[in-house]
Amino acid sequence: METAALIVVLVIVLALFFDFTNGFHDTANAMATPIATGALKPKTAVLLAAGLNLVGAFLSTEVSKTESHGIINEDAIRDAGAELFLSVIFAGLIGAITWNMLTWLLGLPSSSSHALFGGLIGATIVGVGLGGIDFGMVLSKIVLPALIAPITAGLIAFAATKIAYSITRRYDGKPDGRDGFRWGQIFTSSLVALAHGTNDAQKTMGVITLALITVGWQNSEQSDPYFWVIFACAFTIALGTYLGGWRIIRTLGKGLTDVKPAQGFAAESSTAATILASSALGFALSTTQVASGSVIGSGLGRRGSTVRWRTAGRIGIGWLLTLPAAAAVGALAALLVVWWGNWGVAIDAILALVIIVGLFLRSRRNAVTAENAMSDVAESGLAVELPDMPPPTRRRLRIEQARAKAKAEHKAKVEHKAQAKAAKKGSEQ
Amino acid sequence: MSVVIDWLAFVQVFAAALIGAAAIVTFYALGLRLLVRSGRAPVVSPAEFTDAITVITEKEARRAAKQAAKAARKSPLTDVQKRIALIGAYGCFALCALAVASGILLIVVGR
Repeated sequence: METAALIVVLVIVLALFFDFTNGFHDTANAMATPIATGALKPKTAVLLAAGLNLVGAFLSTEVSKTESHGIINEDAIRDAGAELFLSVIFAGLIGAITWNMLTWLLGLPSSSSHALFGGLIGATIVGVGLGGIDFGMVLSKIVLPALIAPITAGLIAFAATKIAYSITRRYDGKPDGRDGFRWGQIFTSSLVALAHGTNDAQKTMGVITLALITVGWQNSEQSDPYFWVIFACAFTIALGTYLGGWRIIRTLGKGLTDVKPAQGFAAESSTAATILASSALGFALSTTQVASGSVIGSGLGRRGSTVRWRTAGRIGIGWLLTLPAAAAVGALAALLVVWWGNWGVAIDAILALVIIVGLFLRSRRNAVTAENAMSDVAESGLAVELPDMPPPTRRRLRIEQARAKAKAEHKAKVEHKAQAKAAKKGSEQ
Repeated sequence: MSVVIDWLAFVQVFAAALIGAAAIVTFYALGLRLLVRSGRAPVVSPAEFTDAITVITEKEARRAAKQAAKAARKSPLTDVQKRIALIGAYGCFALCALAVASGILLIVVGR
């Protein structure tokens, strides 16, 4: 039992660390656009994002329930024994963190959420067996939302961008008021930060609750996480957001694509709406992917834009790869536990420590550059190519045609008059 | 092992998100349009952040403000029409805020 207690503590610490890196990484998603378009001062933006992440974590715990009560079969846990299963959760977390760090170092687009799920699933399959996973639940609450959500967010952002532009479009040359979307972005980006809290902080709560249930410190009938778990996760993600924000601010503005206020507003509304709706139903999404989908969709919503398929393809492959890759790493970590028992756990713990120290050293040594500081979301904007001068709308074409016609008629009239005048003059002479 | 997938839930999420995002964007854009109509075109000068992309310079902001003022002077609308447009604009912004608040309330109450 003492070993089990120790592993629970290790799981909690590692999970909170994961939560911290999640906040550290993802601030850019929520706050990159309003800072870039000049709607918010960087300091204010980061503080706002941290505060709203904290609030968001308290709003809904559906996603956490999906994780603690959905994807793992409880009977299988009972058969396997608490201690083994705790080690499996621990191994899963290590898989997630390792994969996250690898992708971060290699600059691959990735998702911390899918890394977490991948790690847990891979470790459970190795440690407990295939029966340990509720595949229906995994498919319907994790894998399918992962595939569908970025696409639906893109569709919604496309429609929203069209709406925003068509309502504010003017043909008489008077001010169109689109500048006002800068103000709007303060609210929509705040909503994204809030939505981020309702989905991402929950994932860590789910892992901790799962560990507590396994060891018997929480009744499995009780689906809500304990208040201290909610608070710890909310606080950690907010702290990560606050500290991580400064890295992004230093280099923002370099390498971000041309996002106009109206487009940014539409993209953020659709990101926030998609994440909030999914959180309410307990779908565990990758907020990064949803935001990327929205940025691409809203780029396509602007006139004359085309997709750069190569960039889009690279992003898509990154999305698809994360879950199985993290599962493989989680499975490897679990294999150590299965082979060597508690020694395996110790080796895993040392590995985790090495990874965390490496991550820390790397972040200290590495100067913040445009490549590593900008978020995947900003990068996904590159998947859409926008012309400097968009083609005219149909109405603009009609107006121009009518104007050209009127001009031609006027010219013909003037010429006709001049001819008549000349003819008259000729006849008079 | 039977795998049951709740497809309806996906449709629900898509519909809810679409309606929510469309409502926010429509009301906000309408509000901006009416604000311009009332002669108060929004000119937002950028915060202290100079090397960001697509941020207008102070000169551009001044020019935009001048243009807005000129357009407002030229606007043939009567004062009453302008006031109605302004009230409409604030109404639209309020509806936008209401849409957000009700969405969040639905999530909090729905759990």
